[in-house]
Amino acid sequence: MGSSTILVVGGGISGITAAIEAAEMEVPVVLVEKEATLGGRVAQLRYYFPKLCPPTCGLEINYKRIKANPNLTVFTMTDVVEIKGDPGAYKVTLRKRPRYVNENCVACGECEKVCEGERVSDFDFGLGKTKAIYLPSPMAFPLRYVIDKDALAPGDAERIQSACQYRAVDLNMQEEVFEIECGAIIWATGWQLYDASKLDNLGYGRYTNVITNMQMERMASPWGPTGGNIYRPSDQSIPQRVAFVQCAGSRDENHLSYCSYICCLASLKHSLYIAEKMPESESLIFYIDIRTPGRYEKFLRRAQSEAKINFIKGKVAKIEEDPETKDLIVIAEDTLTGKRVRERVNMVVLAMGMQPSIYGTAVPGLPVDENGFVIEGEGIFPVGCAKKPLDVMTSNETATGAVIKALQIIKRV
Amino acid sequence: MAMETLKVDADLKAINEIQAVGGDTVKKCYQCATCSTVCPLAPDEAPFPRKQMILAQWGFKERLLSDPSIWLCHQCGDCTKYCPRNARPGDVLASLRLLATKELLPFKFMHTFYNHLWGLPILILISLLFILPIMFLTFGGVPNFSDPNSFPYGEIYYKLGFLELPARVLMVDLVFLPLAAVVVIFMANAVNKMWNNYLTYYNIPQAYRYGFKTILSNYFIPAIEEILAHSRFEKCGANSWRANPHKMLLYAFIILFIVTGTVFVLADIFHMHTPWNPFTHPVKWLANVGGILLLYGVIGLMAGRNRAELENSLKTSYSDSFLLWLILIVGITGFLTEFARVLKFYYNYVSIVYLAHLVSVFLLFLAIPYSKFSHLVFRTTAVIFDLYYKDILKKQ
Repeated sequence: MGSSTILVVGGGISGITAAIEAAEMEVPVVLVEKEATLGGRVAQLRYYFPKLCPPTCGLEINYKRIKANPNLTVFTMTDVVEIKGDPGAYKVTLRKRPRYVNENCVACGECEKVCEGERVSDFDFGLGKTKAIYLPSPMAFPLRYVIDKDALAPGDAERIQSACQYRAVDLNMQEEVFEIECGAIIWATGWQLYDASKLDNLGYGRYTNVITNMQMERMASPWGPTGGNIYRPSDQSIPQRVAFVQCAGSRDENHLSYCSYICCLASLKHSLYIAEKMPESESLIFYIDIRTPGRYEKFLRRAQSEAKINFIKGKVAKIEEDPETKDLIVIAEDTLTGKRVRERVNMVVLAMGMQPSIYGTAVPGLPVDENGFVIEGEGIFPVGCAKKPLDVMTSNETATGAVIKALQIIKRV
Repeated sequence: MAMETLKVDADLKAINEIQAVGGDTVKKCYQCATCSTVCPLAPDEAPFPRKQMILAQWGFKERLLSDPSIWLCHQCGDCTKYCPRNARPGDVLASLRLLATKELLPFKFMHTFYNHLWGLPILILISLLFILPIMFLTFGGVPNFSDPNSFPYGEIYYKLGFLELPARVLMVDLVFLPLAAVVVIFMANAVNKMWNNYLTYYNIPQAYRYGFKTILSNYFIPAIEEILAHSRFEKCGANSWRANPHKMLLYAFIILFIVTGTVFVLADIFHMHTPWNPFTHPVKWLANVGGILLLYGVIGLMAGRNRAELENSLKTSYSDSFLLWLILIVGITGFLTEFARVLKFYYNYVSIVYLAHLVSVFLLFLAIPYSKFSHLVFRTTAVIFDLYYKDILKKQ
């Protein structure tokens, strides 16, 4: 006996799109998200491609569609443990971690005010801190707090419980493991940033002012740790010269052997952030090849005309720090002149590549390639960046395409 | 130089040659220039090996021969370790040095014999073809190889004017003096070609094209000082542990060269014939110090290479192993010949050990023009040119 449910794993832009489009075809859909909120990487960005919209733009309308749709069930803080069965009749084991905050929460924020324990914000890539009870994203869905139990300070439990007039705090919640049946699976677990500290010649983690492109996004975001100001971390000053290191980890057999597709565009976009916030500042983009797939060539022209960008053809392979000023000396060979250049800059942004989020965590029943990208099977359809490195627009196209394939499977059985 | 136009006409034969002698990964390079940034030896004005990689991909042999950079590389392996394509620039440059060596010297078939395993028996045969007839001539016929008192310690003496030589010494002189002369002439000719290529390639103005004497006095001494100190090699990051054994090996060769010269003067001219007592003779002390340093250096290099291979910063080609083993065998056979006189149990076979020593030393001499051993001369020349070029850049 088959199941007509479609399981969508991952609540980022691709998973949300797939789940809504399937549910709107009036089939039951279960959307599972590992984090405490939907939104994924897009929610962390200042602007996203192709039209440089703020994330609110795409996510809010989708959240509204989710709320309005009776066919769609959302589980947050939930992972897939195992997939068993065959196309048309899968049995999937899920594990739901405790949130310690129930549905009564209205996100009034009274609990946060009395909480003393703090934790490093992974949403802000370590640039800021949150309280131990926190809203997982400025535009969280579901709009509900979550507790990091390990971060609670002594007495926090009593304080936040008495501050909550909605009886929403429940520290006795337990992990739940349960099984669901579904006919097809759309896998949309997206990507994580490659670990920048593995690039030992680029100084990430050793030099304060070497940051990643995603940290740049958080700084540029008006809801981010700096309120939208691009400061360099060592002294909160405005950087006059910012170097972008392209292919940091990508197209590199020692790290990610593939092109991550978006990093060139991301650095061009960041140059526009800089031009918007600090028109006097200069961007230096060190590249092997500027890759602007398809119609994005136009975006390169736009960045060239709107931002102060100095393009240098040559990969940065060494970065030194001036211990006095914390400025950085970025070293590369300018292959067009054949001379080695040493550029002093105030901040370095590593255009880090994307790695599948599930890299290194084997899910029984899920076929992946050597890089961790999910391989399409008869009833399991990878979409977005779980399939291959993509931009938002193309991710959504793969999501829509996967819905029709999933529908074919469940209608067949 | 950077903006000139270059007619692209891929030299497939040259590319194949580069790939055959250890540069098989050259085509993987996508010109990101990681290598020329991480290289601790490349100068800012003319960083390598990125440019050499693209020249090699297209087989620009002439350009590569005119480029001192390939010799300034010490194959540290930093470039290979960080190369995102596993194109192994350090190993490719080693193959370019072999290619340059081949192009600069006459009798290219000798280079082929030296750099392929199948050539090894031919090389041994060639050396025997020179050594044996001279041996038969000086020993007055075929000596009895199982009797050390027939060979090498036979009693035949030759009086040539004021020289008074036992057969053994005359044999060594007749084999190695002409051989050394040939090597010197070949290498001098090659260095001359190389230098002129550099002058043309770097477009050195006539006013700065100094004479031989000026070059020697202004740049040769500093270059030798630098080489003795191994100051470039010691800048290497990825496998810096190779620098010290290499330095010790160089010192060993210098000591053994001095010993050979001293022996030549004392034995041939002052009739103080060997074998000397290893415990009491100061020249023997020096020789043994040299021999021990040689073994230490060559074994250290082998171990260093193995370690570097594990870290994927270096690959050992046949040409590399050949030279290391040859030096090792020179050292071992040298010591075995010496020990035979003390440790009597294999004394009767000393002639075979001694012959093996002669063959390996013969091959080592000829290795200077025909194997990677050429770097002894060519790298020195490139370092001299580098100092010279930097100096005239300052003056211009």
